[in-house]
Amino acid sequence: MGVPKKIKKTLNIAPAPIQGHYPIGYNGITTPYRRKELADLINDDGTYLPKSVLHDDLDRGMLSFVQENLKSVTNGKKVNVIDRILTIQRWAEFSQTWKFTNEDKNVELPFIVVVRHPDVQYGTNPALKYTIPDRKQFHYAKVPTWDGTRKGYDIYTIPQPVPVDITYDVKIICNRMRELNNFNRVVLQKFTSRQAYTFLKGHYIPIIMESIGDESQIDTEERRYYQQNYQFQLQGFLLDEEEFEVKPAISRSLLLFGFDEKNRKRDGVELVKENSNKVKTILEFDNVTNSITREYNYNNNITVLRTKNVGSVTFSINGTMASEPVLISVGDTLTVTIVKPVLGTPSTVTIQEIIVP
Amino acid sequence: MANKKIPITRISRFFGSEDFNLEQNMGMEWLHGDMHFTLVLFRVDKKLSDVDDVYGEAGPEEIRYKQPVEFNAYVSIQEPQNKSYGSGLVNQMEPGNMTLSIYMKHLEELDVDISYGDYIGYPEKEDKMRYYVVSNDGRVTSDMKHTIGGYKAFYRTITCSWVSENEFKGI
Repeated sequence: MGVPKKIKKTLNIAPAPIQGHYPIGYNGITTPYRRKELADLINDDGTYLPKSVLHDDLDRGMLSFVQENLKSVTNGKKVNVIDRILTIQRWAEFSQTWKFTNEDKNVELPFIVVVRHPDVQYGTNPALKYTIPDRKQFHYAKVPTWDGTRKGYDIYTIPQPVPVDITYDVKIICNRMRELNNFNRVVLQKFTSRQAYTFLKGHYIPIIMESIGDESQIDTEERRYYQQNYQFQLQGFLLDEEEFEVKPAISRSLLLFGFDEKNRKRDGVELVKENSNKVKTILEFDNVTNSITREYNYNNNITVLRTKNVGSVTFSINGTMASEPVLISVGDTLTVTIVKPVLGTPSTVTIQEIIVP
Repeated sequence: MANKKIPITRISRFFGSEDFNLEQNMGMEWLHGDMHFTLVLFRVDKKLSDVDDVYGEAGPEEIRYKQPVEFNAYVSIQEPQNKSYGSGLVNQMEPGNMTLSIYMKHLEELDVDISYGDYIGYPEKEDKMRYYVVSNDGRVTSDMKHTIGGYKAFYRTITCSWVSENEFKGI
C-alpha cells in the first residue's frame, strides 16, 4: 500500500512570529495599532469599562445607519425617514410622523420607515457563538488605585457578550418608480459586499442584507403606490454593564500559620542534634604571627573548615609535616603555619577536631 | 388654497345650509338631551410626554394628558370576546370594541379633537369606568354615510378598543 502523497513529512517546529507583518504593536510586541484604536474607541469618554450595548442601543444603531447611509433624494428633496422604531403605542406613532402628515393626518409619500421584528434571536455572529460557557468573567482592565495610604489595583472583568440577531424591514413607500430606483441604488451600492457596518458606542456592528421584496399596491381599482421591503439582519451582541465586575487586586499579603495544640502525643523532632565528638576551633594569627603551636592530650583528626587572609596552611606534628586529615595522638604537639597573601595583617584559620575515642 | 371656500350647491333645490343646521341641531338635541351617553376624553399631550428617543414610547408615569373633557356620543359596544394568550391557555375575557358616533359640531363647540391613540373612559356602572383607546379616529368623513343626503358630513365614527389597566386607568 502506497503512502499518501499529501502526508506532511516535515513539521515547522519554529513557526514565524504571530502577525509578523506588524513588527511593533501598541504593546511593543505583536498587537497592531488598529486594535489599540478600536479599544480606545470603546473606552472613550467614560470609565475604563465599555458601555452597555442593549436592545435599544442596537435599534438606535440601525436607525442612525438608515438615516446616515441610506439617504435618498428625489427632486432635490430628501425622502423623509420616520426616525423612530414604531411600536404598538398608538399615539406615539402619530407623534413621530406629524412633521410630514397631511390634513387627514396621513403620512405624505414618499417616506421610509424602519420596522423591527419583535423577536430577537440568538446570534449567528461566528466570533461570539457558543464559545465560552457559564458567563465566565474575563480580565478587561487593570486600573491603579490610591486610597491615600496604599497603592493598589482594581481588576475589571466582563463576561463574553451575548450574540443577537435582529431583523429589520426597511420599507420605502412612494408613488414613482424613480424614487424606488434611487433608494435601490443607494442600498445596493452600500451593500455591494453583502454587509455594511453601523458604529455603536465604539463597536462596529455588521448588518447583512437578507432580501428585497415588493409589496406594491397596483390594483386597478384601489389607490396605487409602490412599497418595497428591504430586509436586513443586524448581527449584534448584548453587553450588559450589570454583569461587569470590579474587584480589588492584592496589594499586600499576610501569611498566618495555625498549629493544633491538642495533638501532643507525638514527640517533637530535634532540628539540630548536638554532636559532642566535633569541636570547632578558630586559630587567630595577629599581624606578625605566621604559626601557632598547640599540645593535645586526646586523640583527634583535624581538618580545615575555612580560612581568612590565608594563602596556604601547613601542619606539622612534633616537627614532622602532616596532611589533612591530620591525625593527632595523645601528647603530640601540632604546629600550624600559614602563608599570608597580604603581609602585616591578621588572619584566621577555622579547624574542626573530631575526637577519636 | 386651503382657505379658499367653495359654495356647496348639491341638492340645493331641496336642501341647504339652513336645513343642514336644523337637522343637525335636532339630532344633537336628541343625542345630548334624550340619549345622554356621556364619556370622558383623555387626550395625550404629545409635546409634554416624555418619550423614548428610539421607540417614541412612554411609560405610564411619563405620559402627560391634557385636561379631561366630557362629551356626548352615540355609543355601541360589541359583545365581549373570549380569548386566550396562546394555545387556549391563560383565558382572557375582553370587552368588545366600542364604536362612537359623534357630532363634529359638538367637537368644535368643545374645542377638542379626538386623535388616534387618545383614551376614552366610559362609565359602565356607577362604580366602574372602562377605558378604551382610539384605534380609528374617523377623521376622513368623505363617504355618503356621514352626510345628510350627500350634502355635507356632520359626524364622525370613532372606533375604540379596550385597554387593560396596565396601559391606562384614568388620571
